[in-house]
Amino acid sequence: MLDRSLKALSLILSYPSRELQEAMPEIGTILGSDPRIATDTRAALRSLTDGFADADLYDLQESYVMLFDRSRTLSLNLFEHVHGESRDRGGAMVSLIETYRAGGFEPATTELPDHLPVLLEFLSTRPFAEVQETLADAAHIIDALAARLVRRDSGYAAAFAALLQLSGDKADAEAVADMLAQPDDDPTDLAALDAVWEETEVTFGPDPNAGCPQVRDMLAAMDKPTPQQLNRSA
Amino acid sequence: MSHLLDKLNFFQSKELEQFSDGWGQTTREDRSWEDTYRNRWRHDKIVRSTHGVNCTGSCSWKIYVKSGIVTWETQQTDYPRTRAGLPNHEPRGCARGASYSWYLYSANRVKNPLIRGALMRAWRKMRETMTPVAAWAAIQGDPALRNSINKTRGKGGFVRATWDEATEIIAAANAYTAKTYGPDRVFGFSPIPAMSMVSYAAGSRYLSLLGGTCMSFYDWYCDLPPASPQTWGEQTDVPESADWYNAGFLMLWGSNVPQTRTPDAHFYTEVRYRGTKSAVVSPDYSEAAKFGDIWLNPQAGTDAALAMAMGHVILREFHLDRQAEYFEDYARKYTDMPMLVRLDEKDGHLVPGRMLRADDFDGKLGEANNPDWKTVAYDEASGQIVAPNGSIGFRWGEEGKWNLEEKAKGAESKLRLSQIMDGDHDEVVGVNFPYFGGAATGDFVKCDHPEVLTRNIPARRVKLADGSEALVATVFDLFCANYGLDRGLGGDWVSKDFNDDSPYTPAWAEKITGVEREKIIAVAREFAGNAEKTHGKSMVILGAGLNHWYHMDMNYRGIINMLVMCGCIGQEGGGWSHYVGQEKLRPQTGWQPLAFALDWNRPPRHMNSTSCWYAHTDQWRYETLRAGEILSPTAPEGDWDISLIDYNIRAERMGWLPSAPQLKTNPLEVSKAAKKAGKEIKDYVAEQLKSGDLEMSCQDPDAPENWPRNLFVWRSNLLGSSGKGHEYFLKHLLGTDHGVMGKDLGEEGGVMPKEAVWHDEAPKGKLDLLVCIDFRMSTTAVYSDIVLPTASWYEKDDLNTSDMHPFIHPLQAAVDPAYESKSDWEIFKSIARKFSEVAPEVLGVETDIVQLPLLHDTAAELAQAHVKDWKKGECDLIPGKTAPNYIAVERDYPNLYKKFTSVGPLLEKLGNGGKGINWDTKTEVKHLRDLNGIVQDEGVSKGQPKLETAIDAAEMILMLAPETNGEVAVKAWEELEKPTGQHHTHLAEGAHHTKIRFRDIAAQPRKIISSPTWSGIESEDVCYNAGYTNVHELIPWRTLTGRQQLYQDHEWMRAFGEGFVSYRPPVDLKTITAAVNNDAAEGSPHVVLNFITPHQKWGIHSTYTDNLLMLTLNRGGPVVWMSEVDAKKAGLVDNDWVEAYNTNGALTARVVVSQRIKQGTLFMYHAQEKIVNTPGSEKTGNRGGIHNSVTRATLKPTHMIGGYAQLSYGFNYYGTVGSNRDEFVIVRKMKKIDWLDKPASRSATQNVEAAE
Repeated sequence: MLDRSLKALSLILSYPSRELQEAMPEIGTILGSDPRIATDTRAALRSLTDGFADADLYDLQESYVMLFDRSRTLSLNLFEHVHGESRDRGGAMVSLIETYRAGGFEPATTELPDHLPVLLEFLSTRPFAEVQETLADAAHIIDALAARLVRRDSGYAAAFAALLQLSGDKADAEAVADMLAQPDDDPTDLAALDAVWEETEVTFGPDPNAGCPQVRDMLAAMDKPTPQQLNRSA
Repeated sequence: MSHLLDKLNFFQSKELEQFSDGWGQTTREDRSWEDTYRNRWRHDKIVRSTHGVNCTGSCSWKIYVKSGIVTWETQQTDYPRTRAGLPNHEPRGCARGASYSWYLYSANRVKNPLIRGALMRAWRKMRETMTPVAAWAAIQGDPALRNSINKTRGKGGFVRATWDEATEIIAAANAYTAKTYGPDRVFGFSPIPAMSMVSYAAGSRYLSLLGGTCMSFYDWYCDLPPASPQTWGEQTDVPESADWYNAGFLMLWGSNVPQTRTPDAHFYTEVRYRGTKSAVVSPDYSEAAKFGDIWLNPQAGTDAALAMAMGHVILREFHLDRQAEYFEDYARKYTDMPMLVRLDEKDGHLVPGRMLRADDFDGKLGEANNPDWKTVAYDEASGQIVAPNGSIGFRWGEEGKWNLEEKAKGAESKLRLSQIMDGDHDEVVGVNFPYFGGAATGDFVKCDHPEVLTRNIPARRVKLADGSEALVATVFDLFCANYGLDRGLGGDWVSKDFNDDSPYTPAWAEKITGVEREKIIAVAREFAGNAEKTHGKSMVILGAGLNHWYHMDMNYRGIINMLVMCGCIGQEGGGWSHYVGQEKLRPQTGWQPLAFALDWNRPPRHMNSTSCWYAHTDQWRYETLRAGEILSPTAPEGDWDISLIDYNIRAERMGWLPSAPQLKTNPLEVSKAAKKAGKEIKDYVAEQLKSGDLEMSCQDPDAPENWPRNLFVWRSNLLGSSGKGHEYFLKHLLGTDHGVMGKDLGEEGGVMPKEAVWHDEAPKGKLDLLVCIDFRMSTTAVYSDIVLPTASWYEKDDLNTSDMHPFIHPLQAAVDPAYESKSDWEIFKSIARKFSEVAPEVLGVETDIVQLPLLHDTAAELAQAHVKDWKKGECDLIPGKTAPNYIAVERDYPNLYKKFTSVGPLLEKLGNGGKGINWDTKTEVKHLRDLNGIVQDEGVSKGQPKLETAIDAAEMILMLAPETNGEVAVKAWEELEKPTGQHHTHLAEGAHHTKIRFRDIAAQPRKIISSPTWSGIESEDVCYNAGYTNVHELIPWRTLTGRQQLYQDHEWMRAFGEGFVSYRPPVDLKTITAAVNNDAAEGSPHVVLNFITPHQKWGIHSTYTDNLLMLTLNRGGPVVWMSEVDAKKAGLVDNDWVEAYNTNGALTARVVVSQRIKQGTLFMYHAQEKIVNTPGSEKTGNRGGIHNSVTRATLKPTHMIGGYAQLSYGFNYYGTVGSNRDEFVIVRKMKKIDWLDKPASRSATQNVEAAE
């Protein structure tokens, strides 16, 4: 039994093609009738799918490439946001593949396993409780991506809002704030960008003017006058 | 958490099973938690690979793979051990390499083939009704549409494409271009074959089958040191890093080993524990500086002055006041110092002229073969002039005497070094030498010594064949005079005292460089003293820091002279170590047939990139340097004060340099016309060129017929890290937004070129199609029309070698290429396949005409003993002699794919070889048939060895190269024995049956086999050291004299004052004009600094500089480094945003204010990406540029010389170089940081629709 809403969101976040464009009215209907999604989000999704159906395909594709292929901070590869360029990323992807295999599927795509549409398609085959658990794990990423897309006035934000609601979870506000404070490779995130450049001041000990305590002690010891030699032979 | 509540303190279960008399017991609690730890480091396999980046490291790595995903890498530790007494190579690898697996899955990866949206719309629209080539023709035929697409370059708007569609567009564009303009309008640029040779070969093989142009990199990157071909007739050959450990005195000169040669730096550390002293020459307090026992910090750009002062000390103390026996013996046998130079009269004074040749004497000294190419000297024993063995005239047309035995005409001879002794000279004469110290501008110290210095020389009168008398001197005597040494002959401008302020003394150098004279004297003495005691174990490691100046030859020759004076070249632990660019393609001769399709047709089209980009990005239109400014006051009479582009045109016309495109008319059409006229191609072209009906393209680079039309860039960031004159590329080649602020010569009212045709309106957007093949979105990718995603270094099979160690490494596909990417081999294979499908629409079997310059290491290097220009009527146009050669080559376009994927028949027919020797290779092709299998399909390739996979291609390289096939090595040495008459095969005989295959190097790094391609040997007794076989096997250097050539007697060399080395201050490029410097006009704080671009710690060129880890270790975006003094002047503090600009363009960056930097200099680490954290420039209004935005390439005429022994063209061997360090910039604080965060206007896309 396929969760058609999740499948629909997986499709919305896939690379726009003619076929996808034609399926947009149906996708809109499915999402529009899902009571798990808030009314205003459903309206936003509706305008996204309607706009999608009417737009010039090349414009959609150019915008998709610019947003999701070219902007690191909007990457649909979830682990980009968790592990970035760290050694843990490979391991995390391996365990995700193993999850897919345990669920009875072999990935048949050139996308990496952490690509969000891949994950959503997998989740559309899973019991809803599991879906919620998995999405809740990623809630802070979904929330942050939604916030970034809102800042860009992108209709794709609605898809992330819907996912957040489906997760039934409120994203951990601190984690979201952390993510939004992350270095941003995109010129639109001005505040985040400048923050990267701030260097932390180097201080030594509680009193920054006191210098290194060990050196201070050593110098103090050296400064002590040499004890007077006693003439013991006298 | 405490386990107190969970465990029993007082009882032990009886149920537990005990064994080993109660010492062991079986427990039953759940231990599955331990699997977490087990799985953390679990992996399915470990694969050996390396990083195919432009790095000399070439380190072997273990790649760990789990479930088809690369999880991490560690350094390999299975290198074969070195010999006893020498440290091992391990550990190799550095932080950059260790972060690669993280980079592999970076969000910066290119995932799908991308095409600019505007182009895709137009293409699909045309393709609805048209065939592929017709569709491309329709787009190109509509100027408004074409321009609107070009203008979107660099502004985003990519859409994904399928491989099928992307390759179809490319194939159609290539076919259209070949048909319409000629196949040589399809260019391809890829650097450093050694870093991944099969990937390089994939593209160049495709281009060579097509008739496209393969562009050089080494000269363009300015990593090619022209001093090396000038002195040794060798591109670059250097000691391996392990040989540093054999040095007794080690100088680091403008090289920063710990920072940029990380995996090799340990040899430098270790040798200091052995007691070796080290001197470090670096203007800034670099990482290497702290390794030095002494640190010399000359003003940047004055290295030649320092080197000449050291040479002055060495000559004085080891050659003149006292003759070190080893040095004198070495100079006599291995250098041109004993050779005789004719003294020419000019305006009543004498100047050094040509070297005398056997041809100048009565009876040609008995030399019938090439007497004009046999140099002469006095034989001490007979007192007669002889033509000793080894000069280049002996190399071609005869056998057995091209060697360095001390013989002439079969008799023993001992050449006379100097004519100083009474009786050895007839008179003492004054000879003029040019002096350029007064030409200094800006911050460089200007001397008030005259521009011509007359010095006394012992000379002899000799009678010539024509009955005239000539004054002659030895190179040694002129050489000492050039260094300003007083030899008791009286006269001016010579000195006995190091404290005199006379050119080339230590006191003089102190004034120019700022380095104390005592330090100069001490280092020179210790350098030479050590070399005398150890017979040459003094070494200099030098690098880009010196080579990127306009007068790099002077810096290098100054240092080379020191090494030669002390007999260090060719001796283990000594010599010249130039490690810039990973140029050492060890199995070169095995690789060439694959890379340039020599198995199917010869010759390929090669082009020197510097001249090409100079012309085609229209940098010549802005040239501020006149040849007259760099001409010698002692120049022979001639038409010298012309534009630099004019020199280049002359050089191409005389066959010195290659051309691209070659002829203004499509060569496929010229061949048809020749056929129709019933004439030989060569004769027809010569006739038409003379009549002017046929024109060379070089004369008019801006005519649309002569534009480059298609450009492939792969394995390179041409527009990012290596595009000198970046903004000119954008303006003229691409036709998009740019930051050029200067005006061209037409607008400025400057002096116009004489030979180049001037168009008032400069072209904008010469390229029809720019294709970039990369795995990450680099600056070049951002500007391309089509971006193809390529496999990264853990996703493909390939080969990799370095000059730093003798091992050959594989790259291996540890995992499948991520996303939609494919290896370069597969990409070009798919383009070739598509081309063969598409081409028959307009092309069949055609006859192409390839223009070939006079090549080094062929008999053509003896073409022009004198400079004569056919166009000026000074001689007849004879192809291959006074002009380039013109050779017919058949192109079977419909069968291009079949040829690409099989080894062609020419190897069996013509053999294989390199560097002047050729051997039969039928056995190897037979072995390839057995190993790779035979093509079974009908057609041109039936029965030939297969070349389907990258491993097949690798096996072809390994099978054909002497370095990896002992049997070939023995054959190659045997071939060399013919001209030299010496025994060489002993160098490879032991390895006769060694054949290194791809799977062997996958198992363990393998040391290569000694081969005549290189001048060092692989041995258990000595480390690899360049020049070793010249000194120890008596194989001549490939120069005019066959010896190390310290005097350059070519007319152009003499004209530009570079016969002998001299100190030449940096040139004034005049890019700080009053018009551009509005800060000066407004009186706002700013500072003008010399702009240099050294290599960094956080990236290898532009690779890794967009990796978050490396960005975090550095400052996270573009930075420039400045001294505290200069920062204060400009009112800057650390981390301020600054703008640096001049007429070439502008860049924006944060400033690092540091005591490390010497006043007067601005550092910008090479190749930080424009795509990372770069705000808008206030000057240009566009996004701030990269380090190349403020540079422009400037040519040097002496680098264009050809057809003259070692000064002959070779691909990546000789030619103009892209120097960029003489540049100055204005630096000021930015007032407003604008991230230009509005989306690019969509108007471009709309225009396309309008155009439709």
